[in-house]
Amino acid sequence: MGRYQDRMHLLQKDMMARYYAELQVSAEGGGEKAAYMLVSGNPVELVRAFGLLPVFPEVNALQLAVKKQALPFIQKAEELGYSIDNCAYVKADIGCYLSGRKTPLGEIPRPSLILCNYVGCNVYLQWFEHLAEYDPTPIFNLDIPFTRLDHGEPAAEDVAYVVRQLEDLVAVCEGLTGRALDEARLRRVVELSAETGELWSQVKALTRRRPSPFDAYFDSVTMMAPLYCLRGTEECRDFFRAAVDELTERADAGQGPLPEERFRIVVEGPPPWPYLRTFRDMFSRWGAVAVASTYSTVGGLWEFGFRHDPDKPLESIARHMLQWNLTNRNFLQRYDQIRRYVEEWEADALVIHSVKSCRLFSAGQGDMREYFTKELGVPTLLVESDLQDPRYFSEAQMKNRVDAFFESLSHRRAVTGAAS
Amino acid sequence: MATPLDDSLARCRTLLETPLAEVAGGWKCAHPGGSVIGCFPVYTPAELIHASGALPLGVLGAGNQVEIAHADARFQSFVCSIVKSTLELGLTSRLDGVDAMVFHSICDPARNLASVFKRNFPGVPVFYLHLPQNMGARAVEYLDAEYRRFLAGLAELNGRAATADDLRSSLALFDTWRALVRGLYRVRAGSPEKLSAAECYALVRAGTLMPVEEHAALLGAALPALEARPARPKDRIRVVLEGSFCEQPPLELIERLEEAGCYLVDDDFLLGWRFFGQDVGAGSGDPVRALAEAYVDASVYSGIKHDLREPKAKHLLDKVRALRADAVVILAAKFCEPALFDYALYRKALDEARIPHLFLEFEEKAWVFDRLRSEVETFVESMLFA
Amino acid sequence: MKRPVAAGVDVGSTQTKAVVLDAERRVVARSLVETGANVSRAAERAFEAALDAGGLAPDDVAAVVGTGYGRYKVSFGDAQVTEIGCHARGAQWLFPGTRTVIDMGGQDVKGIRVGDQGDVRDFVMNDKCAAGTGRFLASAAEALSLPLDAIGSIALCATSPVRLSTVCAVFVESDVLSYLAAGRSVEDILGGVHSAIAARTVALVRRVGLEPEITFTGGVSRNVGMVHALEAKLGMKLNVGTDAAYTGALGAALFALERAQAGVPRAGLAAS
Repeated sequence: MGRYQDRMHLLQKDMMARYYAELQVSAEGGGEKAAYMLVSGNPVELVRAFGLLPVFPEVNALQLAVKKQALPFIQKAEELGYSIDNCAYVKADIGCYLSGRKTPLGEIPRPSLILCNYVGCNVYLQWFEHLAEYDPTPIFNLDIPFTRLDHGEPAAEDVAYVVRQLEDLVAVCEGLTGRALDEARLRRVVELSAETGELWSQVKALTRRRPSPFDAYFDSVTMMAPLYCLRGTEECRDFFRAAVDELTERADAGQGPLPEERFRIVVEGPPPWPYLRTFRDMFSRWGAVAVASTYSTVGGLWEFGFRHDPDKPLESIARHMLQWNLTNRNFLQRYDQIRRYVEEWEADALVIHSVKSCRLFSAGQGDMREYFTKELGVPTLLVESDLQDPRYFSEAQMKNRVDAFFESLSHRRAVTGAAS
Repeated sequence: MATPLDDSLARCRTLLETPLAEVAGGWKCAHPGGSVIGCFPVYTPAELIHASGALPLGVLGAGNQVEIAHADARFQSFVCSIVKSTLELGLTSRLDGVDAMVFHSICDPARNLASVFKRNFPGVPVFYLHLPQNMGARAVEYLDAEYRRFLAGLAELNGRAATADDLRSSLALFDTWRALVRGLYRVRAGSPEKLSAAECYALVRAGTLMPVEEHAALLGAALPALEARPARPKDRIRVVLEGSFCEQPPLELIERLEEAGCYLVDDDFLLGWRFFGQDVGAGSGDPVRALAEAYVDASVYSGIKHDLREPKAKHLLDKVRALRADAVVILAAKFCEPALFDYALYRKALDEARIPHLFLEFEEKAWVFDRLRSEVETFVESMLFA
Repeated sequence: MKRPVAAGVDVGSTQTKAVVLDAERRVVARSLVETGANVSRAAERAFEAALDAGGLAPDDVAAVVGTGYGRYKVSFGDAQVTEIGCHARGAQWLFPGTRTVIDMGGQDVKGIRVGDQGDVRDFVMNDKCAAGTGRFLASAAEALSLPLDAIGSIALCATSPVRLSTVCAVFVESDVLSYLAAGRSVEDILGGVHSAIAARTVALVRRVGLEPEITFTGGVSRNVGMVHALEAKLGMKLNVGTDAAYTGALGAALFALERAQAGVPRAGLAAS
């Protein structure tokens, strides 16, 4: 990942190291109180405004997977009665939680508040309910009505409902911290989020260029960690300024992540964290570069124009949660999002990485494949593994399918090339 | 000689085997201009559909009668059967006569299924209800609006809007009917030898396939006959079954479970039709509000509702104690994430309360039950000879 | 100087096959060896055996393409092509009207839509779960203590095939044993086993369309019971060759011949 994004990569590493150091201090009883929350469309602005430390079990779980340390925790959870078919993020996190919360990046503090931002994913509800039962802690279910109306917007009642819940959450945080909400601070945090969203969408627009200056799937991961864990801070905003500068430079210089960009792809689905490098190599050797990815929009979808609004902090947080992230949008809205990527980012093909753990992402991707191949004529590859469970990755099988797909794309291109 | 009770049971079993399209068609012949609304599990506010003059029809998968030939291509092997079989019903014209479908936020695959339905059957409106998960006053207010939106959709479909009086009388009718269903379960709890779990299931499930008025009449006739039914109690353990709230096990599986040596004195089969343990009680107040309040404050606890006001397993322990059950069987559908997650907490609570329990997985399409039966027999033996 | 020939080597998990074609796309030699533990060596052995059979020397071969799971172990190959690409090409050579290929092996089931040049237009494979693959047949045969190559013809004698609960290769055994205990005949049980896999396969291949002609390849295509069950589900006849096992190697040889005729020099090992 860091081979060519040197400055950004170093900055990111520093920032995340500082973030995990903060978690370590909190775990040792100093620093700020921890609020557990989930990545999808999260209201981190509110948590930051109270000076609480946001902790994301999903990020901790994926770090365990990347460092190949998840399996013993998954197995521990399975000993407790979790099924082989349950989401492995949850199992790794619960296994780790009950083993003393030590991760390769440091110790994770116990929560003072478990804030379940139920944004699309039903497993979120289970996950945090279970954590709160194992280690009794105040828990708040922030219920976000799913995007279900034909026009794709939330109903007015939905916005009102979420805003009222956010007001309740403010009261909870006031009780927890002993401090009243500092409205000026909230505005400032929301303003920083808006600026970050703007910069991030500029980053995403750069992959429309040829060659794309970075891989919108594999390299977006570098930017997602600060975007979710640190959004609403100056540090995060500055990171994205640096990212825009560096990546624009690269785009202007005609540099891409690979020596040659042969195929532009859109990738749907989370990556296989335990085998990220292996998986990436399968595409790199074909000269395939992701120009857009749905995974990079789980926490928020900014490239279509959404920005937080410091003049309406709670309402804009509510709209972000309701409408402007991948997970709370319905499956057909996702088809449309991908269709736009294919058209506007000029992609040659769609790659669906179907992960067993996350059925929110994967259930029904066969229908998605059907839509893209049959209705739109977009070459589509569907491969299957998992985002967390290393037992579910079969390298030879996966490579075979990826190779066959790009062989066939190459052939098609050779034929059309010869014809024209 | 067949008694009237046998007749009712036979009628229910026949209905269970009748194709849904035929059930829908039959009702529409008798109710020209009426529409049939397919209800995917778990809970659908059937009262609202009834008050709108439509038939709420349970669409609970295809059981073990339909071979999945198309839906496999849309949903992966790690997705539960009911999601695939319900889509298969649609893709093979077995839902003809169903004018609209209702799905809601029980789990991630069911939610995506709603979208897949919408794309594959553009002529069939899909209602999607988001049921609240932050239980309290805010949720009532929200759900009230959600129900009114649903009512408006139904009005558009049916060409007429339900009045407050329509709603109140539907609520009252469903209250009466639910009291009858509770009556069946009282028989199960008190003298389970008089009514097998499979019979009870068939009686209740028929209610997902016929107008509530008819079903109430059927149950009203069956209940007194049950009390008078001669039967000798067998030496079986008393079991509370939990986990089959969405995908439904085949009837034969329920039979085999009991034959293996237990009485299922309570279960969560067909939970959506038994979502309220008490009357909703519209009274003279606002009926929609009353229904929303009942959902938030007086509905059953289950894996698809995350009510943090009490621990996850409390309702299960309460049931075991109230019914003097000997054991719990968790019967989870294969790949059903909510049920599989629940099990981890149930297991912990049951162990702590020293209540014996057995975990089983099933698929609706199962056809052979020997392995499952021997597991249950072994479990029962271990309890009887302990 | 002899006219150049081209070779394809298909390194599968159990068997390795080699096919040599002349410039007119005629098979001049072929071989089949057990793969064994040393995959590179198996590729060499198969290649050498084919050369021997055709009375050829290594220098006569203008190009070699490797395919199969061990394709990167064909150290003397010029290029690698997946068996999906090779099966499409090979099946169309065997049956020029082929538009769809169903390939069923031990772990995998594939459906391939084939263009008029034998090119892959689209393909699907079974998902991670081995349900409904050849492995399932092997489990059923094991449960019945029958040799795997006998079950297909027995299944043809079914009069009322049983219904199986599962196409899971792990659980099929207990279903089979339950039916045996219930007194069902071996014929009916095997009839049910074949029909269950055929149903699942047709559902899978439907994703790429089921345009005729359909050619059935892979190890399981030798099973007459499966051919029959698939034809019954599809309502049409399948092309089944007696040389189905060589389809992949044949396709690889066709790719190799194309390279040779395009004048691509021999490269040894090169990334495709």
